[in-house]
Amino acid sequence: MNYPVWQLEFLGGGFLIAVIAIIHVYIAQFAVGGGLFLVLTEHLARRKNDPNILDYVRKHTRFFMLLTLVFGALTGVGIWFTISLLNPSATSVLIHTFVFAWGTEWTFFVIEIVSIFIYYYTFTTLSQRNHLIIGWIYFGAAWMSLFVINGIIDFMLTPGAWVENNNFWSGFFNPTFWPALFFRTFFSIMIAGLFGFLTASFIKDKELRTTMLRYCAKWLLVPFVLFLASSWWYRASLPPHIDQIIFQKMPQLRNAITIFLACSPLLILGGLIMAIRMPSGLSRTMAAVMLVIGLMNFGAFEFLREGGRRPYIIYDYMYSNAILKKDMDQVAEAGVLNQAKWVEHRRVTPYNINAAGKELFNVLCLSCHSVGGPLNDIRQQVRRSSPEELNLIFTTMGNERPYMPPFAGNNFEKHVLINYLNTIIRK
Amino acid sequence: MDAVSLIPAPDALQVHWFWLHLLLTFTTFLHFVAMNIMLGAGLIAFSSPFWRGSDVLPLNAHIAKSLPYTIAFTINLGVAPLLFLQVLYGQFLYTSSILMAVYWLSIVGLLIVSYYAAYVYRLIDIKGGMDRLYIGAAVLLLLCVSFLFSNNVSIMQMPEIWTRYFSDRTGWLLNFSDPALIPRYLHFIASAAAIGGLAIALYFEIRKRRGATDGDEWIKLGCKWFTVATIINFGFGFWFLGALPETAYNPGTLGGKIFFIFIIGSVATIIPSVAAAQTGRIIPATVWALVTVLLMTLARDILRLTYLKPYFNLSELPYVPQYSPFIIFLLAFVGGGFIVGWMLRTVWNAKEVA
Repeated sequence: MNYPVWQLEFLGGGFLIAVIAIIHVYIAQFAVGGGLFLVLTEHLARRKNDPNILDYVRKHTRFFMLLTLVFGALTGVGIWFTISLLNPSATSVLIHTFVFAWGTEWTFFVIEIVSIFIYYYTFTTLSQRNHLIIGWIYFGAAWMSLFVINGIIDFMLTPGAWVENNNFWSGFFNPTFWPALFFRTFFSIMIAGLFGFLTASFIKDKELRTTMLRYCAKWLLVPFVLFLASSWWYRASLPPHIDQIIFQKMPQLRNAITIFLACSPLLILGGLIMAIRMPSGLSRTMAAVMLVIGLMNFGAFEFLREGGRRPYIIYDYMYSNAILKKDMDQVAEAGVLNQAKWVEHRRVTPYNINAAGKELFNVLCLSCHSVGGPLNDIRQQVRRSSPEELNLIFTTMGNERPYMPPFAGNNFEKHVLINYLNTIIRK
Repeated sequence: MDAVSLIPAPDALQVHWFWLHLLLTFTTFLHFVAMNIMLGAGLIAFSSPFWRGSDVLPLNAHIAKSLPYTIAFTINLGVAPLLFLQVLYGQFLYTSSILMAVYWLSIVGLLIVSYYAAYVYRLIDIKGGMDRLYIGAAVLLLLCVSFLFSNNVSIMQMPEIWTRYFSDRTGWLLNFSDPALIPRYLHFIASAAAIGGLAIALYFEIRKRRGATDGDEWIKLGCKWFTVATIINFGFGFWFLGALPETAYNPGTLGGKIFFIFIIGSVATIIPSVAAAQTGRIIPATVWALVTVLLMTLARDILRLTYLKPYFNLSELPYVPQYSPFIIFLLAFVGGGFIVGWMLRTVWNAKEVA
C-alpha cells in the first residue's frame, strides 16, 4: 500500500526469496558450526601432534573461507536486497525495530572476517596458542551473529508482546527465541559435519580419509539427538494457531513436512554409512548426496517456518500484502485503490476495469502468488476453480482459509478483482 | 501524478536522527576508503601491464594477494551505511531500488562473480597470461556495480522521476535523465584510481619501514597514479558541480554554504596531499587524502539533503525513543574494535616481511 510493487510475475509467490534464503541460511549456518569444527579439529591435530590432520584443517579452512566469506556473505546481502524489493514495508519495520541489533550483528561480522583471514593465513606464523585463540574468536563472533539474527528471524513468526508494546526486547527475546537458537546451533554443528564429509572425502591418504570421515560422522550424529530435542521444544513453544496452520490447515506445507520427516532419518543413515571405509570416489559421491539431503532437510524447515507466518509477514501485525492488521477495517471502508500510494487507476470505469483489477492483484495478491511460476501459481489455482468457487474463496479468506488474509478492499473492488482473475488470469 | 503523493510514509526512529546520521557518515567514510582501495588497486593491476608489460608483475602479485581482502572489507563496510541509510532514508531507498529492481538484485550476482574472479587471480600464476582475463573481469564487474549504485542514489534523490514506474513496473529503470549521473560516477572512479595509487604507495612504504627493499619503484608508481588521477578528477569534479542543481551550492542557503565549505576544504586538503606524495612523504599524503575523503563524504550527505529538501526533512521523521539497544550496539562496537585491534597487533608482531 505504501510502496510500489515490483511486478515479478513468474518468479513471484515467494520463489525468489525461498531460493536465496535457503541457500544462504544453509551456508550461513555452516559458517557457525564450521567455525567450531575448525578450531576443535585443530585442537585434535595439536593434541595428537599430527601434521596431516593439521594440513586437512588448513585445506578445509580455505574451502570454508571461499564458501562462507564470498557466497555466504553475498547471499546474505542478497536476502536483504530481495526482501526490501519484495516486501519493503516489512523490511522497513524490521530495520527500524532492530537497527541496532543489525548493527551489533555487523560488528560480529567484522570480527568474523578479520579472524578467519588471520586464521587461514597464519597457520605457520602464529604461535599455536594465539592461532587457536583466533579460531575461538571466529567461532564466538559467528555464534553471536546467529544469536542476533535468530532474534530477528523468529520475531517475524512469534513477535509476542512486541505487537502491543513495541519494545525492542519483547520482540527480540520473543517466545521462540531460545528453542530456535538451540535448534539452529545444533543444526549448524551437523552442517559442519556434512561439509566436513565433502572435504575429507578428497583426502588422498586412505587411513587419514577414513579417520576424518568417521570424525565428521560424529559431528553429524552426536548433535542429532539434541537437534531432535530442540525441534520438539521449538514446536511446543509455537502458539497453537501457528502450529495448526503449519501442521493441519495449510495444504501447501504438506510436502515440506514430508521432506523434513524423510530427510532426518536419511541423514542418520547416511552418517552411519559414511563411517564405513569406502573408495574415495564413492565417499565423494556420498558426501555430495548427504549435502543435498541436508539442504533439503533444512530448506523444508525454513519453508515451514516461513509458511507458518501466513497470512502474516509479521505475525499478528502485518499481513503478507503489507497491510497492517489494525488498518484492515479502514482500508476496507475507503477502498484499496483509494488508499494505496502507487496506483494509477483509482477510478474504475468500463475502459480500465482490467487495468484496475491488475492494480488490485498487484497490491493484494502478488506478494504470495506467482503468475505462471513454480510457486503458488494463481493461474493454476484460478483455472481449477469455477467462477462460483472463486467467489467462495474470496468469502472464506481469513476464516476457513486462515492462511490467506481477509480480502482488504471494498465489495466493488472484490468484484473488479474477481473479474480480472476470471477474464485475464483464467485465459 | 504528484511526486510527493508517491513518497511512502517512514517508520519511527529509536534514537535521535543525529546519532544515526553520525553512524551513517562514519561508516560511509570507511566504506569509501575501502572501496577506493579495492577498485583503484584493481584498475591499476589491470591497466598497468598494458604499457609496462611484465615489469609490473611483482606489483601485481602483491595486489593479487590483497584484492580478496579489500573486496571482503569493502562489502562488509558497505553493509553498515546501507543499514543506517535505510533507517533514515528507507522510504526513498526502497522505492528507488524497486524501480531498478532487476539491476539492483543483479549486484549480488556481479559481486559474487567478481569476488571469485579476484580469488582466481590470486591463486593462478600471474605470468600465465590468463591473469588479465580474471582481473579484467573482476574490475569490469565492480565498475558495473558502482554504476548501478550511482543510479540508485540518483533515482532515490529525484522523486520527480518516480512516475516512470507506471510505464515500467518490472524493475528495469535507470536514470540517464539525471545530468549529474555520469560525472558523479566518473568522479568516484577517478577518486578510486587516485586513492588506489596512494594505497599502493603506502603499502610499500610500510614494508620499506619494516625492512623490505623492493618497494621504491612501486611507491613512485603509486604516487604517479595518485597525482594524475587527482588532476583528472578536478575536471570530473567541476563537471559534476556544473551538473548539480543550483540550490546545491547556492551560498544564500545554509545547505549551500556548508556544501561550498566542504568542497573548498576538499580542494584545500588534496593539494598538500598531492604535494606530499610528489616529494615521497607518503604518510602525510595519506592523512591529507583521508581528510579529503571525509570532507567529500560530508559534502555528499549535504547534497542528498539538498536534493530531498522539497520532499523531506530529517527532523520530521517520527521518533519513539528506545536507547538501550543503541547502548548495546555501542558496547559491541567498542568491544569488537578491541578484539580486532588485538588480532591485528598479534599478527603484526608475529609476521615477517615476505
